Amino acid sequence: MTPDHDDDDPRPRRFDPQLWRRLLVHVRPYRHLVLGLGVSGLGVACIDTALPLVTARLIDAASAGSGWGLLGTLGALYAGLLLVLATLAWGFIAMAGRLATGVGHDLRRQAFAALMAQSAAFFDHRPVGWLVSRITQDCNKICGLLPWLCLDLAWGTSLLTLIAAAMCWLDVRLAAVVFAIVPPLLAIGWLFQQWMLDSARAIRRANAKITSAFNEAIGGLRTTRALAREDENLAEFSALTDEMFGASMRNALQAAGYLPVVMSLGSLGAGLALWRGGVEVGHGLSLGVLVAFVQYTALFAQPIQDMARQLAQLQAAQAAAERVQSLLDAVPAVRSPARPAAPPADRVTHLAFDDVHFGYSDEAPVLRGCSFEVHQGETIALVGPTGGGKSTIVGLLARSHDVQRGAVRVDGVDVRELDLPWLQSRFGVVLQAPHLFSGTIADNIRYGRLDATDAEVAAAAARVCAAPFVEALPDGYATQVGEGGGRLSTGQRQLVSMARAVLADPSVLILDEATSSIDERTERAIQAGLEELLVGRMAVVIAHRLATIRNADRILVVDGGRIVEAGDHAALMARRGAYWRMVAADRLDA
Amino acid sequence: MLTPVRALWALTRGARATYARAFAALFASALLLYAVPLVPRAVLDGVLTRDPAPSASVDTTLRLLGGRAFVADHLWVAALAMLGGTVAAGAFTFLCGRWSAQASEGIVRRLRERVYDHLQRLPCRFFDGAETGDLLQRCTSDTETVRLFFANQAVEIGRAVFMAAVAVPVMLAVDPRMAAVALVGMPVIAVYSVLFFLRIRKSFEAADEAEGDLTTVTQEALTGVRVVRAFARQDHEISRFATRNGAYRDADYRVYALMARFWSLSDLVTFGQQVLVVGAGIAWMLRGELAVGAFFYFLTAVHLLLVPLRQLGRIVADFGKATVAIGRLDAILAEAPEPAPLRPRPVPSRGGAIAVEGVTFAYGAGPPALIDVTLTIPPRSTVAIVGPSGAGKSTLVALLLRLYDPTAGAVRLDGVDLRELDTRALRRRIGVVLQQPFLYAKPVAENLRLARPTATEAEVEQAAVAADIHGALLRLPQGYDTLVGDRGLTLSGGQRQRLALARALLQRPDVLILDDALSAVDTRTERTILAHLAERRGRQTTLVIGHRPSTLALADRVIVLDGGRLVEAGTAADLRRAGGAWAELCGDAAPAGAAR
Repeated sequence: MTPDHDDDDPRPRRFDPQLWRRLLVHVRPYRHLVLGLGVSGLGVACIDTALPLVTARLIDAASAGSGWGLLGTLGALYAGLLLVLATLAWGFIAMAGRLATGVGHDLRRQAFAALMAQSAAFFDHRPVGWLVSRITQDCNKICGLLPWLCLDLAWGTSLLTLIAAAMCWLDVRLAAVVFAIVPPLLAIGWLFQQWMLDSARAIRRANAKITSAFNEAIGGLRTTRALAREDENLAEFSALTDEMFGASMRNALQAAGYLPVVMSLGSLGAGLALWRGGVEVGHGLSLGVLVAFVQYTALFAQPIQDMARQLAQLQAAQAAAERVQSLLDAVPAVRSPARPAAPPADRVTHLAFDDVHFGYSDEAPVLRGCSFEVHQGETIALVGPTGGGKSTIVGLLARSHDVQRGAVRVDGVDVRELDLPWLQSRFGVVLQAPHLFSGTIADNIRYGRLDATDAEVAAAAARVCAAPFVEALPDGYATQVGEGGGRLSTGQRQLVSMARAVLADPSVLILDEATSSIDERTERAIQAGLEELLVGRMAVVIAHRLATIRNADRILVVDGGRIVEAGDHAALMARRGAYWRMVAADRLDA
Repeated sequence: MLTPVRALWALTRGARATYARAFAALFASALLLYAVPLVPRAVLDGVLTRDPAPSASVDTTLRLLGGRAFVADHLWVAALAMLGGTVAAGAFTFLCGRWSAQASEGIVRRLRERVYDHLQRLPCRFFDGAETGDLLQRCTSDTETVRLFFANQAVEIGRAVFMAAVAVPVMLAVDPRMAAVALVGMPVIAVYSVLFFLRIRKSFEAADEAEGDLTTVTQEALTGVRVVRAFARQDHEISRFATRNGAYRDADYRVYALMARFWSLSDLVTFGQQVLVVGAGIAWMLRGELAVGAFFYFLTAVHLLLVPLRQLGRIVADFGKATVAIGRLDAILAEAPEPAPLRPRPVPSRGGAIAVEGVTFAYGAGPPALIDVTLTIPPRSTVAIVGPSGAGKSTLVALLLRLYDPTAGAVRLDGVDLRELDTRALRRRIGVVLQQPFLYAKPVAENLRLARPTATEAEVEQAAVAADIHGALLRLPQGYDTLVGDRGLTLSGGQRQRLALARALLQRPDVLILDDALSAVDTRTERTILAHLAERRGRQTTLVIGHRPSTLALADRVIVLDGGRLVEAGTAADLRRAGGAWAELCGDAAPAGAAR
């Protein structure tokens, strides 16, 4: 069994009114609809209660043989009530729609905005699929439940009260007998809903496993074939479909058993009414009233079933509500200051790391006192073993995280005092596994500067040597890159993302293994293209291939969270230290 | 491909007897449901009052209950009969639910397994032209749609038919004139319901599409959140999201508005039907032509029939969805699986000599990825394949694994054309580390053992040591038992590559292929791994694809591809001396300082 350290679908816990009260904030703009639904529920309940009374009066009048006059009046009343009922039905469904879609819209908007405000650390441990489900499924679950909960609770409670009142008014003793079926109906409704809640959860879990199995079958296609594992995979998959079969059968049997039990109880009530009422017919009870009683017992079951279902749904939706609320509550680890300092100039000309200490957790420091400066026009390279802290340094520059000690300064101002979007847009970042958005190549390059013309887009592509491959494509810049850029190779994605960064006209260009999947010939051409671009800018480059960075103005060797060596290629080679050993290992100078 | 309806029918094979039982139970429960209100009717008309126009069905009912006088003295007998009838009807309803669930869940279980297995056996070409999201949706939501059809809609249609079939004769027996009044609105409701749902299907689809768009935009913004932040495009993304969010709200509301119209209109017709029954009933009662019990019976029976008829439209609309879903699934199932020779030759084991003879290959209708490539790789040698992106290196690997067949020419292993071999036996002899290796959501140790389930713990560790991942694994809280994937360990690209390498080494293949397999591994680790690989040289044929000269230094021979053509082949030293493409790649052709 897999460890459920982050269970998406936990067993429902105790009802948490505090949580729901907080979510009700999102309902406030729509409170007139809630009121409208409540009134509709009450109205429908009134009519549901009135109809058997009208029927009873008609039957009694007819039995007395004197009802032609009354028939007209009551018949008109009956038809009028039905017309009102149809109008109410239209009204409450429309209102439910407004409420559900409106609240859902607002919840999604706020949750998405909250996610966009989060800093990088937030996304490190939360898979994208999980977050998407929060915004789609969880919000839908909450807002889909809301209107029907309002309506059914208003309708159910009023109907039960009104029927009780009507029956007591008609005949107290008979009413007392018929009421006997209400407590077992309530108990059984609740019990079955709990069981079904449980088995429905088992189905969802099995279903999630089946979905990820299909996902693996498609995503791991080549690996599965290379390992010739088809039969074993199928056997594992069969175990999952067995689990699904078991859970589905359990749920189906519960659902199949529920209705007959409720029907039987209703029939017991009708039987009781017929028996006790029939005995009284000779002693002052009219036939019309007896028929009304039998009809009322049939009406009991529905609201009790509906309310039990809605309350169970509420219980089931609590986990979704908790997750959505936690997204809304999450405070970004890195925020813009309330009153940002004015940057000295729009173009950044100086970067400084001043004794920076940093770790993703307190136990494992990554940087332990790191200091360096970058001046305008300089290209610096960060080299060193994996885990040494190179990517961390780059991340701290654009304030993906905040330092624990020391400071990162941009033009002499601590980055924590600067407006965050302003700061971030000073940097053009190209990553090893760059993400492209679905759309055309031109769209993706233009993401760097939304108002760039086609000519500017093409110029940026040419600058980083992306133009030859783009222009060789049948659709050129209008080529669709597919989901996540999947229709392009990794190297092509790196080229497009580099053009995107260049188009943004950043003060600082950060290349984090940005050319790892590009062959060396193209890489050298890119470097030649960037040379001109980098005049007056700064660049920070990370690369495994040391040939890529040997021409940097300064090479910083990062190891164990510190800068152990700094200088240009020649100086470091002459030193015969860590860098020299790395180069020797790379056999470049062998 | 079959027509959707025939495809659905074909799926029921093996479950038809169970379905027949379910429908029999359904019929029995429909009979009982209409029989039960006959009891209060008989009591009202035969015991509490005297029917002015005596009815045979009242007499029959009372006789069954023990006679008029007996019932008059013991009214509880009638109550008990009602209860008994309802309990029996309930029991049949339960049986129907049970058997139909058994049948439908069984059908869907078989369908899922068939689709899964078929996907595993479809040629790679099929997946090149398919969107993963679309395929996944067919496997999951389309099977669910089919399941809903078999579990609910098939039964509900049966229920509506049986209820109508029972209602008509019973009502006629109770009172023919009232029956005519009570049934007059039923076809109207059924037809209205069906027409309405067929008409609004487009609105449902529009809402689904709007939701899909919203999900896509959300997913993209979150997957690319680092890019969004890097360019400070949060507001841009929020406004993109807002557009879709608003569109989804409006499309979804449109469905609600249509439903409001449907239910209120359907309520009007339904209630109109009831008003008709009440009005006609009371009028005939006043004339002394209808008894109060019969009137009561119609009030109840009309209600019983209205419920399933009003649902008919939704069922028919859903049936439309089910035919679309089965059509989409059937399209997958109708695809031919990977070709296999009728009588495969045993995979030869002569050290793994590879011969590529005049191979030309193109993905689909695209330009050829390999053009007339001929090369031989001696057994147990180590060969580097290099060239710029798009040169055809990975395509060559795919052909060796027989993920594709060449358009022209042949690939041979130890002299035998791959097309004559059992594909899976062939693949078991080849260990491959792909550029973007895939790991299963299983513990690390299990992931490694996939290559050779019988491997001992020591062998697993040995392979991990060779891939320089052993130390890193031991530092994990649960070591080799740590789960890989979203819910467990999130691995870096380099770690994935090292695990995949360990897996391939554990396989002890005749041919080991490293397709840019160390691109995400840092230099120090790479050096360690290369040293381990160097020790294993000569145990198997090894193909190395890469960019870094250090990786390629392992090779005895070098093959240079460019634009799908073989441009150079020979030992590394020879090629370097010759000063061609390989020499340039090694950096010889680049004078120092040329890069900046």
